[in-house]
Amino acid sequence: MTTATLETPTQASPAKQKVILCEGNEAAALAVALARPDMVAVYPITPQSSLVEHVAALIADGRMDADIVDAEGEHSVLSVLQGGALAGARTYTATCGPGLAFMFEPYFRTSGMRLPIVMSIVTRDGITPQSVWGGHQDAMTVREVGWVQVYCETVQEVLDTTVMAFKIAEHHDVMLPVNVCLDGNYLSYGTSRVELPDQAEVDAFMGVKDVNWHVALDPHRPMAVDPLTGGTTGKGPSTFVRYRKGQCRGMQNSLRVIEEVHEEWAQRFGRSFAPLVEEYRLDDADYAIMTLGSMTGAAKDAIDEARDAGKRVGLIKIKTFSPFPVEALLKSLKKIRALGVVDRSVGFRWNCGPMYQETMGVLYRHVTATGSSLPSMSFIGGLAGADITVGHFHRVIEATESLLTKPAPIEPVWLNERD
Amino acid sequence: MGKSYNTIAFDSAKCDGCGDCMTACATTKTGTDDKTRSRIQIVGSEADGFELALCRQCGDPKCVTVCPAGALTKNFDSGVIDWSDTKCVDCLLCTVGCAYAGIALDAGTGHVAKCDTCEGAPACVPACPHDALTYITTSRIYNEVGDWEDLFAPGLAGCQGCNTELLMRHTLRRVGPETVLATPPGCVPGMGSVGFNGTTGTKIPVFHPLLTNTAAMLAGVKRQYKRVGRDVTALAIAGDGGASDVGFQSLSGAAERNEQILFMVVDNEGYMNTGMQRSSCTPYGAWTSTTPIGQGTGGMPSQGKTQDAKNLPLIMVNHRCEYVATASTAYMEDLYDKLDKAIAASKRGFAYLHVYSPCTTGWRFPTDQNMEVARKAVETNFVMLWEYNPTDGLHFTHSADEPLPVTEYLKAMGRFRHLSPDQISHIQGKVVENLAFVKQMAHREN
Repeated sequence: MTTATLETPTQASPAKQKVILCEGNEAAALAVALARPDMVAVYPITPQSSLVEHVAALIADGRMDADIVDAEGEHSVLSVLQGGALAGARTYTATCGPGLAFMFEPYFRTSGMRLPIVMSIVTRDGITPQSVWGGHQDAMTVREVGWVQVYCETVQEVLDTTVMAFKIAEHHDVMLPVNVCLDGNYLSYGTSRVELPDQAEVDAFMGVKDVNWHVALDPHRPMAVDPLTGGTTGKGPSTFVRYRKGQCRGMQNSLRVIEEVHEEWAQRFGRSFAPLVEEYRLDDADYAIMTLGSMTGAAKDAIDEARDAGKRVGLIKIKTFSPFPVEALLKSLKKIRALGVVDRSVGFRWNCGPMYQETMGVLYRHVTATGSSLPSMSFIGGLAGADITVGHFHRVIEATESLLTKPAPIEPVWLNERD
Repeated sequence: MGKSYNTIAFDSAKCDGCGDCMTACATTKTGTDDKTRSRIQIVGSEADGFELALCRQCGDPKCVTVCPAGALTKNFDSGVIDWSDTKCVDCLLCTVGCAYAGIALDAGTGHVAKCDTCEGAPACVPACPHDALTYITTSRIYNEVGDWEDLFAPGLAGCQGCNTELLMRHTLRRVGPETVLATPPGCVPGMGSVGFNGTTGTKIPVFHPLLTNTAAMLAGVKRQYKRVGRDVTALAIAGDGGASDVGFQSLSGAAERNEQILFMVVDNEGYMNTGMQRSSCTPYGAWTSTTPIGQGTGGMPSQGKTQDAKNLPLIMVNHRCEYVATASTAYMEDLYDKLDKAIAASKRGFAYLHVYSPCTTGWRFPTDQNMEVARKAVETNFVMLWEYNPTDGLHFTHSADEPLPVTEYLKAMGRFRHLSPDQISHIQGKVVENLAFVKQMAHREN
């Protein structure tokens, strides 16, 4: 199992917390209730289904006061929320896999309109062949259209991050939609001990809702939303450029805001998570492996065992994947001499994992910053729901260690090919 | 703004001089069947046919001006010129002053007599067996709408002769400023509803949905206002392509959920804004830029669209919406009545209004013929005007009996110019079939 055990709180919990046992999908639903959205739109798709069922049950039980829209498909799910957000609603939904693909047209548009919609992606591998199992392919496929995307390692992190996502999205320096990615199967159905924050404390954390101060469909302040850009010269393209630059600025601002919000969360609730990049036993490491999502739990176990065997290996976990935390990652990479990157999805164009592809850009920055190159290689594992075990990670560690003395292979290593 | 009044209109082409109107008037006003005492007189014209001698209830009445006794006065409430028997001195000067022979001596009383429109229910009009007389009651549209603010700026960039600008302006005047307007890609935003480069022609909140998600986005807007207790009208003015093809799923879903929105489709039977391509609302046989006319291969010439149009309003009826209606800008009174009902229904649930909109550019007819083409569509039953609500079922709002042959419609425009006799008979057959189908629904729903 790669579902990680809950970390012990690093400091005394100042807030009232209820301890419960729940799966990741329920944790996400409880977090959504804590964030008090006005509107949720739902459509079931495996392995997300139980998440929206939990949301529906919370509303039906009167534990959550939100307008629930059972839309006829994911395309309308996100569209309903866009309308709601433009009218001032705090909004939430969840999806994955083919549902996310079907949603892509309004999905692309959400960041352009700067709507702070929060959406869980209960990550699922892509077709074909047909697979209803976990994998990061869905979220990776839509990484380039201006949503903030964060990945969770544990069920507790799912709960805490989902609440934080609303605050990050609605921050006036960000105003972008946020995906909270939780691994299908491993986190969605992985049951774990979870501390549930007190509602009043979360209310104080969230502050005043203000989601459409910048763009609104409101007869009290009429405006035309999303005008056409006229012509291919002059004001049309320059307007377009301002939209795009604004989106990029919001993405870059989010790196700071994500850190601030995580810091505030830690102070209020006593649980601290690395906001962008987590380092594990890295300070005296010669080389490191890099992970994303729930696989990190097994990876850390493997690191501990390797350390016990005398290997000087550490781990870098990416939490914030979009925007890619270039500076934070560069800082971590400066501590090591070789890197192995484990992806749970495929980058078809570069014949490697997508996170590895992103990291290669940072490796170039590393060369320009340090004057020396950092040998690296790509591993692809955990496709179609496969488990990446401690054993797999020992192979990753061994192969990465070899980069200290041997040339790096061009081809990726497919971890589960002979399972 | 001046005031408009209802009036009796006469279509000389339909009149055969039977005199039934005169009999009805004489009976009502004198208790006799003496046509000479009727206040409406049908007279032979210098050319073949007939003319009308009847009071026009003039705005600048000469009869009033010439009367030395103050017996004739313009009533500014009803619009009728009233005659007072206590003041009249029977000098008959008024009969000389009137250019329309609209006031004349009634030999039975010895006084002049003139039409008073029977207090708004003229007896002559229903008596005409040929519909040559019509009582035009559209004055309320002018009087009401003229006082409402035009919520579009002047100068929308529509094609010359397009009726959609008319529809947009009138609809927005009617729904008023507490409205959020969705105009998905198509002619309406092409005319500048949302605007270009940050300027807009619309004075209320307006947005581009995607072509695919109009009903869903608008539902989200409406739901949030409902949640916070604000009465905001959610209105879509969409084209037929987006509604019937790629946007149909979100339309159907919103209707099924009975979202409280008013969805108006402006049906110009194709993707006219993007260059006149076929939609599923394009009728059989029509030329479009993706159903062009050509030799084809293997002896199979290309002769326009080979399928019949999807009947979107009937599909919406089967969603059991709060209100569904078809309308035409050639019948504005009917359209206005339906707009009122649709707005009211949209406060309870999903309201759908399907307005047929002849496209002078894409259908290939002269720019001054838009209303005539729209009227011919109805007169031939190519388009039928009806309305539906779940309580009263489906009703015709304009008689579909005694239609003109469909060729009267087809020949009015270039997109049907190539039709073979077989194609024309297919279309005529479909008109008959459609009428039978809607009549069945009207029967069943009642």
